[in-house]
Amino acid sequence: MLDGRTRTLIQKRIEALKFFVWIGIVGLLVAYGWVQLVKRREMQELALRQAVKNRTTPASRGIIFDRSGQKLVDNRRALHLVIQAEELPGDSRQVQDLARMIQRDPDDLKRRIALSRQVGGNHLVVLQENLDDAGLAQAELLRARFPFLSVQVAPRRSYLGEDLAGHALGYVGEVDEKLLEKEPARYHLGEIVGKGGFEASRNNDIRGVDGQRRILVDHLGREMALYGVKDPVPGRSVYLTLDAGLQQVLKEAFGPENGAGVVIDLRDGGILALYSSPSYDPNIFLNRLSQEMVQRYLRNPVNPMLNRVTQGLYAPGSTFKLLTALAAMEKGILKPETVFYCGGHKMFYNRDYRCDGAHGSVNLIQAIAHSCDIYFYELGMRLDVDDINAAAKKYGILEKTGVDLPHEAVSRVPSRAWAKIFRPKEPKWYAGETISVVIGQAQNALTPIALARFYGMFATRGKLITPHLLYGFRNEQSGQMDLFQSPAPRETGLDPKIWSVLDEGLAQVVEIGTAKASKIPGLAMAGKTGTSQVTTFVDKAHYAKLEKKFKDNALFAGYAPRENPQIVFAVVAENAGFGASSAAPIAKKLCEYWFVNRLKNPLPPPGGKLPDAFKLEARKEEGEGVAP
Amino acid sequence: MKNRLRALDAPLLLPVLLLVLMGTLTLYSAGRGTSQANLWLKQSLWYSLGFVAMVYIATQSPRRIFRLSLLFYGLGILGLVAVFVIGKKIGGAQRWIAVAGQTFQPSELMKWMALLFVSHRLGLHPPEQLGGFELVKTSALVLFPMLLVLKQPDLGMAISFLPILVLIPLLKGMRTKWVALGLVLTCAGGFVAWNKLLKPYQKQRVLTLLDPNADLQGTGYQINQSRIAIGAGGFFGQGFTAGSQTQLNFLPVKTTDFVFSVWAEERGFIGVLLALGLFGLLLTRILEIARSARTIAETNFCVGAACILGLHLLVNVGMVVGVLPNKGMVLPFFSAGGSSTLSYFMGLGVVMAVAYRAKLK
Repeated sequence: MLDGRTRTLIQKRIEALKFFVWIGIVGLLVAYGWVQLVKRREMQELALRQAVKNRTTPASRGIIFDRSGQKLVDNRRALHLVIQAEELPGDSRQVQDLARMIQRDPDDLKRRIALSRQVGGNHLVVLQENLDDAGLAQAELLRARFPFLSVQVAPRRSYLGEDLAGHALGYVGEVDEKLLEKEPARYHLGEIVGKGGFEASRNNDIRGVDGQRRILVDHLGREMALYGVKDPVPGRSVYLTLDAGLQQVLKEAFGPENGAGVVIDLRDGGILALYSSPSYDPNIFLNRLSQEMVQRYLRNPVNPMLNRVTQGLYAPGSTFKLLTALAAMEKGILKPETVFYCGGHKMFYNRDYRCDGAHGSVNLIQAIAHSCDIYFYELGMRLDVDDINAAAKKYGILEKTGVDLPHEAVSRVPSRAWAKIFRPKEPKWYAGETISVVIGQAQNALTPIALARFYGMFATRGKLITPHLLYGFRNEQSGQMDLFQSPAPRETGLDPKIWSVLDEGLAQVVEIGTAKASKIPGLAMAGKTGTSQVTTFVDKAHYAKLEKKFKDNALFAGYAPRENPQIVFAVVAENAGFGASSAAPIAKKLCEYWFVNRLKNPLPPPGGKLPDAFKLEARKEEGEGVAP
Repeated sequence: MKNRLRALDAPLLLPVLLLVLMGTLTLYSAGRGTSQANLWLKQSLWYSLGFVAMVYIATQSPRRIFRLSLLFYGLGILGLVAVFVIGKKIGGAQRWIAVAGQTFQPSELMKWMALLFVSHRLGLHPPEQLGGFELVKTSALVLFPMLLVLKQPDLGMAISFLPILVLIPLLKGMRTKWVALGLVLTCAGGFVAWNKLLKPYQKQRVLTLLDPNADLQGTGYQINQSRIAIGAGGFFGQGFTAGSQTQLNFLPVKTTDFVFSVWAEERGFIGVLLALGLFGLLLTRILEIARSARTIAETNFCVGAACILGLHLLVNVGMVVGVLPNKGMVLPFFSAGGSSTLSYFMGLGVVMAVAYRAKLK
């Protein structure tokens, strides 16, 4: 049928095809040889890296108790919906669907996923936090549709007293990227760290050590095999020196008013109560995803995030007069029996200065008791501002108190050097300015905790204590507390003769002086009222018309009982008017509770809603079976 | 039956049986622990069915088969049209019709019907008498079903019709003007295809090939995972049912498109060498039969069969290792699938019938 020539041609072409077949096969073998022989190690590494993961098991932070063992901060188990697969399979349509179903912005979700993938390792993208029953049910539905999701169990802080001690306790949150960059060996992305208050200052003591699980995962991030496990070590439980009951009294004493109060145990410097009003509820900061409440705090013009006790700088008003007296006596221009005449007002440096009343001829004790301004103006005429500054330095006002809370502010008492550095437009100090400094107005700015420490110096006859919140760590073996060794107080070398006069003056303040309305029968309290101007005003009528935020701040600092002092306190009531009528009553309430009511009828533990909260918790743990 | 078995061509049968054995083992491993755990059993059933069909066809007279080729071609076209009318849509493409609970893909069979009919037509006259018009008509017979398949859409399948056109240079030789015309047509076709016909996901596949790392989570994900699997296999492989990429599901579509990656991961370069060697022997044997065939039509069919198998081999095996774009083309004797398995065995049956006749002569 075919002639020989055509047949030969076709057969030749078939031979050529055979040749091409083997060329193709050799070509493929070269490609496979390249991947399987040359790139073998690299590919095996990649296979291993995506299949073997080190997942972090977060350690729970130490539980925080008050000094009598009442729980202030607890840990609960929270359930989070997370993306557990680092390599999301398929196209981004899945992410789009997922974002739509959980009502998240798809682009934001994609960005978060990309970020975690970039960091790699063990950071899972959290989609929904702290699932409740309904959330858990929805999460299970989502898991059925998106198998790369899982429900993760993680410890979560629970601040039982809500805003009872927000500033003292602080709050926790994910570690900042900046800190992460600075100390990469110490922290890892997504780690929960203390961000304010005690949680921050003692983070390393209470944070515990995260555990790790070395596991084999499939393409959806599901655990297929366990290679090794390192259990997390929970953080140490810790006792604070706070007394929950006293803290409660202090909080209620402020009510809706702004201010700050602190009570310190004179024996060891332990802080019994520390409240900054308005306070904040640290529970709010636990939600990484919903920042709405956090933003409300941050934008609030009253600034609830500021710890007014350690960071609020207030003109101390008449509470400062004790330092003036100290400076004057040490300079030798003032003796206890020195008398000045107060006629209600007097001209100094061509200006008429007023006093609250016409006190007549008064000695130092009387001047302190009735807070006679004219008496101290007279001292101000004879003192240099640097004398006052030197005394402030000597008696510890110009240093940090050393309290174990972050970002403590340093108090300020002006001096000539200060004017030069910080007042470049007006570097010269005028003697007339000293007049205002001696009664605690003008450039004086003290933190309430520094003020308390200063008054503690009178209570201890010259010792400067270091206030602190840490009482001790719970020893898990014995169940007892390993007591924190408080730093030894600093001796100032206060002259006992000077001390006895000032102590008497402070006692008279409460006994017969400006704060006599706050006298507690049977308890001798010593203290000093103060009223500091927030703004300048012309006369009483003008003052009455001022907006609330321009009204005077009221202060009271003191200690009790006078004969055997146990506690020292400082209270600032912002824009509340006279120290005697606003701040001293708060101190009275504190002393009443501490010395009388606490012993008879202590206040219940923080978080009265506790039993309900536990019930909710128990229900959640029943549903745990669905978590992987 | 003994007579029938005598029709089987041992040098052709041996590589096929070995490849089928390898394919079954691979499917067993790939399906382990997934919803496709029994797929290897189902596929074995298809292999058996295919084997029976192959034996039956091998004993038929090729002349009779070619006489009926117009009928087969017509039935094939009807099947393709039926896909559009009563077809089942899976994953955005309408490629399947359901028969008795099984989905069937008529385009798989159509490939072989078209080859059969075209081989027959081109064998009616001596090659030197084939005019240009006849060649155009023959090409149309290939391109028409190809366009129907492209419309489904199924680009990979449509491309696997192209090897049939190799018969033209086989018979007429490679003339400069043919090559030039082919190049021009390819470029024009490519231009039209890229701008008008290709779906975005298909374009993405081509782009992915150019830079697999550009989109690691999208199309690149599959090829990237496949390359990791292949590379992790190394020289000796990770062992049967011990490939981490396979068993942990990092490898996508591992029972069809990426089945060869499973083999490569678990059996290593040695396994790849063995499989490709067997494929080579198989294709060589088919071309050998083509040479010894008695008629031009028979030669045509065998060459066409070798080219179809060869193209599938090249595209699939090349795709999973990342040197060719992801076309969704299955690998004969490895990938799971009823229609394709049956079709390959039937095609081989015809080849064996040709060999048997040649031997009898």
